[in-house]
Amino acid sequence: MTLIKTENEALREILRRAYHQKEKVEVSHRWQEEVMRRLRDLGEMEARPTFVAMFEQLVWRLAPVTCLLILGFALLLSSVDFISSYDLIHSLMNSTEEIALNQFFGL
Amino acid sequence: MGTSTHRNDDAEVVNQVVSGDLNGFERLLKRYEAHVLGIVTKHIPFDKVEEVAQDVFVRVYQSLPNFNRNDSFKQWLSTITIRTCYDFWRKHYRCRETPVSSLSEKHQVWLEQAMATRSSQSFDERASQKEAREILDWALDRLSSEDRVVLELVYLEGYSVKEAANLLGWSTVNVKVRSFRARKKLYRLIKEMF
Repeated sequence: MTLIKTENEALREILRRAYHQKEKVEVSHRWQEEVMRRLRDLGEMEARPTFVAMFEQLVWRLAPVTCLLILGFALLLSSVDFISSYDLIHSLMNSTEEIALNQFFGL
Repeated sequence: MGTSTHRNDDAEVVNQVVSGDLNGFERLLKRYEAHVLGIVTKHIPFDKVEEVAQDVFVRVYQSLPNFNRNDSFKQWLSTITIRTCYDFWRKHYRCRETPVSSLSEKHQVWLEQAMATRSSQSFDERASQKEAREILDWALDRLSSEDRVVLELVYLEGYSVKEAANLLGWSTVNVKVRSFRARKKLYRLIKEMF
């Protein structure tokens, strides 16, 4: 175990040295001009973020809240009864009416 | 004090550029050219360094309106540079058609000897050989772009997990796990050479 660890450390040291030994790249003096040319080609910078960018940001910010709301509503719907109280009362009223009529006509 | 002055100056130049003075950007370009090239050189093959460094500055220019003037410009620039390098590898791996390079027997012999050598003097001599770089490039070429960038930052450059996570915009847990796995893969790849 210790041997493997020592080996790995030795390997790391070799690789680290190799990694840092890369020669320095000399760029041509036209390099900066080329960057500036590309920037000019891009045109004027938009100082303010566009409506689409702002909307996109807003959508992503609200996404977790929306997910939580959907989850909450799903839980709520699964825990409550689907027969609304109005329907329940309506059916009760109908049946009492029937009972009363039956009593009245002696049926 | 110096850093603070630099920071204020950077923020001033950024304001100028954002308000439409494109020439102000040349000041930033001159000031940070060496810094960006230094980072890019470590991560990108020689023949692509210029191109990627240009992409970095174009990306910086496009993102300037979003730069928080209270933050360090240099730090922000480093983040964009690392992410541009990572994007380069992602694109490169996706478009790669040619088979990855292979190692010859001399690399294997070299590695065996280098691993066996523990004395610092001969170690230095060996470490200066280009074989080490070729072995590293060979191994890195066989990792995914994500593993590669994490390995370079944490394992080879010595950034902390938190710093690497900030540079890449990933969670620290992700960097930690990926760094561990990538290191294992690297060891396995190199040891399979024996």
